[in-house]
Parts: sequence; structure tokens; C-alpha cells
Amino acid sequence: MSTPTLTNADASMARFESQTTRYGSLTMTAGLILSLLGPIYLVFFSGLQISPSMLLVALAAVAATFGVFWIVEPLTYFPILGSAAMYQAFMIGNISNKLLPAAIVAQSAIDAKPGTRRGDLAAVMAIGGAATVHLTSLLVFVGIFGSWLVSVIPTEMIEVARVYILPSLMGAVLVQAIVAMKQVRPTIVAIALSLIMYFVVIPLLPSLALFGTALVVLFSIIVSWIVRDRKAIHTPAAD
Amino acid sequence: MHFPLSAGDPGSTDILAIANNPFLWFCALGVFAVIFIQTILYVRAAKAAAPHVDMPLREVKEAFRAGAVASIGPSLSVVLVAIALLALFGTPAVLVRIGLIGSASTETASANLAAQSMGAILGGENYTQQVFAVAFMAMSLSGAMWMLCTLLLTPVLKRGGKSLAKRNPAAMALIPTAALLGAFSMLTIAEIPKSSIHMMLVLISAASMAFFLFLAKVLHAKWLKEWALGFAILISITAGYLMHTA
Repeated sequence: MSTPTLTNADASMARFESQTTRYGSLTMTAGLILSLLGPIYLVFFSGLQISPSMLLVALAAVAATFGVFWIVEPLTYFPILGSAAMYQAFMIGNISNKLLPAAIVAQSAIDAKPGTRRGDLAAVMAIGGAATVHLTSLLVFVGIFGSWLVSVIPTEMIEVARVYILPSLMGAVLVQAIVAMKQVRPTIVAIALSLIMYFVVIPLLPSLALFGTALVVLFSIIVSWIVRDRKAIHTPAAD
Repeated sequence: MHFPLSAGDPGSTDILAIANNPFLWFCALGVFAVIFIQTILYVRAAKAAAPHVDMPLREVKEAFRAGAVASIGPSLSVVLVAIALLALFGTPAVLVRIGLIGSASTETASANLAAQSMGAILGGENYTQQVFAVAFMAMSLSGAMWMLCTLLLTPVLKRGGKSLAKRNPAAMALIPTAALLGAFSMLTIAEIPKSSIHMMLVLISAASMAFFLFLAKVLHAKWLKEWALGFAILISITAGYLMHTA
């Protein structure tokens, strides 16, 4: 860390980005391969008599519903996550219901804005913290004690968690995001556009439902830019 | 396609006989190990860069802790849902597909679509080892496509972001904020019309968060800012339980 090339912020951020891109793409590729090895073994080496056409039809059924998201989700979350955290988020999963809330909390804890250098580093650290908690709790509560817990936890409780976790989470996260960002105009724009999208556009054009979130993100950016406060003194992104 | 290395029976409905196979466990733990390694490498890289961008080590640690604390509530909810799905997919598949890479709703929906394409439903009487293997493969391929698109798109988007940052730094400052607010407004509003309980819970959760953030400000209690999300989820889900069972 004492090398002279790292004395300025640009150089060290550039180094951080090239490191995370290298580590990130390597680990993600490894995760991708490992996640496929299991099912490949079952399908081809377990005597289950599965034909290629069964796989093709099943994949086509899944792709017809989710294929759009393969591309749209990375596009939607990139502006929020930044390049380094992209490789974490899409391997760890549960992005909107766990990783992004963790990143917002961390950024607000140290008063950093998303997209700034401190914001990007805070997001990466927050996702690291979230991953640690998440992996540990999965290993312990699902991996080790899962079969026992399923016999003691009332099914009603599991059902409530499944059905009601998203509304219980999203209301709080939205409030935290609004308070952390302290940006009145983009907040109004985002909420107004979401209401229009959900209650006007999608009922009129139901096929747009798949793109709802992505479109709201895109138009929130465009409209917020158009109505931005031009009188505000602009502070450089370097925080 | 007939290399019976493990004793699978295409027509058997004893899913767990193959779903908890040691090789599947090995792959699942491998994914865990990869994520642990990634986390360590990333944390080291961030720690090395932080002091050069006016971010003291104290803040780096605080960000890690805040992320860990904030994810307790969401993680436990994922755990609860994952446990409920153990009987359908076995532990290794649940750990990788529900717990990690994907999310419960996407992956269960994918598995269901795959099962339907074979004329079965998850957990139904036609849900055989063969159907399970095809469903597991379909979920995994779909998840792999997500990662593949991320691997291919991220470098492209990064270049785009860089050139925009040079030409228009003001836009680059605004974009992440607007994108984040847009995403969470839409995700929140999508919950409201699902049922009257959903609507109540969105309001309870939002009000609890507002209350805790206000309290944190008045009392100068920084820790409360970190725990607020967990408390808000707990209050709201308890209210959900009471309304649901009432």
C-alpha cells in the first residue's frame, strides 16, 4: 500500500476496479460451473433416462418466462450496484430483497451516496457483510439443522414469512432509501412514475408487466435529469 | 445417457433419495466456498483502496457491519422459506438455488414451469426423480444464463459508464440515486394491491422505519440506523402473522 502509484485516489480506485473485475469474473465463472455440475451429474449419470428433448422443452418453458430477466436485470441493477458489486450480487442472489437494502443501510451509516467512490466501496463491504451473515445462517439453519427445524417450526409461520416478507421489507427499505438519498425531486419522480406504471400503463398494456421495474428505473433516470435542480451547486462525484 | 453411477430410479417419487446425493452436496458447498473466497478478495481490495479516497478504515468496517446487521432479517426470512422447500428439492439444491444464486420466488416458479412441461406438478404424485432432475437442470441453466449475461454485460456497461462520467459527471451523480429510488418505488408499490394485509404491512413497515430513523437522529444512536431494518421487518411480519391468523 505504500507504493507511490497509489497515492492518488484515481489510481487506487482504478486498481480496485481492475482487481474486482478480475476476481469477480473468475469467481463468478467458477460459481457458474459448480452450480451446473450437480444437475449435469443427476441428469446424465444417474440412470434417470432423461432425453435431450425433455431438457429442451423444460428450458424453453423457463426461458419463455424468465429469459427477458437474464438481460434486463443486469441492466437494471448496474447503475445502482456499480461494476464491482455486480459480480457479487448476481452470484449471491436475493438482490432486491437483501443485498440492495444492506448496501443502502451501509451507505447511509457512513453518509455516502451511491455511485460515488465511498458509496461503491461501502456497497462492496456491505454486500460482503451480508454474504457472510447469509452463508453462515444458510449453512447452520438450512444445511445442518434444516430437516430438524422443518419438523418444529409451525407451517403457519413459514407460510406467513413466505407470503408477507416482501411487503414487510419493501416499505421500510423505500423509506430508508428516501431518507438516505435526500433527493426530493428524484423521489417524487420515482414514486409518481411507479404509480403511473402500476395503475395505468400495465393495466392498459399487460405485456409490459415484465419490464415494469426496468422501465420505471430508466424513466426515473431520464425524468429526474430533465427536472433536476439546475441552481444547486454541483459537488464533484469524488465526495 | 445410461451411466448409472448412482442408483436413480426415473419413476420413483422418493426425491430425497437422489436430491441429497453426496456429489450434489459437494457442488453446493463448492458454491459456498467460491462466494466466501470472493468476499475475502473483495474486502481486501476495498480495504486497500479506501484510505486513498478519504474513507478511513473505521468507515470500511462500519459498512461491513452495517451490511451484516441489515441482512439478518432478510436472511432469516430466506432461511424460513428455504426450509419449507427442503422436501421438494433436497438440501443441496435448496442451498444453491433458493439460498444463493436465485431467490425463492424465481426458482420455485422455474421449477414449476419445468415440471409442468413434463406433465407433473411440484410435490404432486407425478413428481418423480426424473422430473426433479429436469426441473433442477432447468433452474440451474436459467441461473447460469443470469450469471453469463452479468459476465458479458458488466464490462460493456462499465465502459459506457466511464465515458458518460467523463462527458457528463452531473448525470453520473444523479443516475444511481434515480435508479435506486425508481427500483424500490416500483417494488414497493407492486406489493400494495396484492391484498389488504399486504397494503397494511407496507404502511406498518414504512412507518416503523420512519420512526426508528427519527429516533436514531434524536438520540444520536447510530446503531439504531443499522438495526432499523431488522426491527421494521420484525414488527411488520408479526403484524402480518396476527392479521393472517386472526
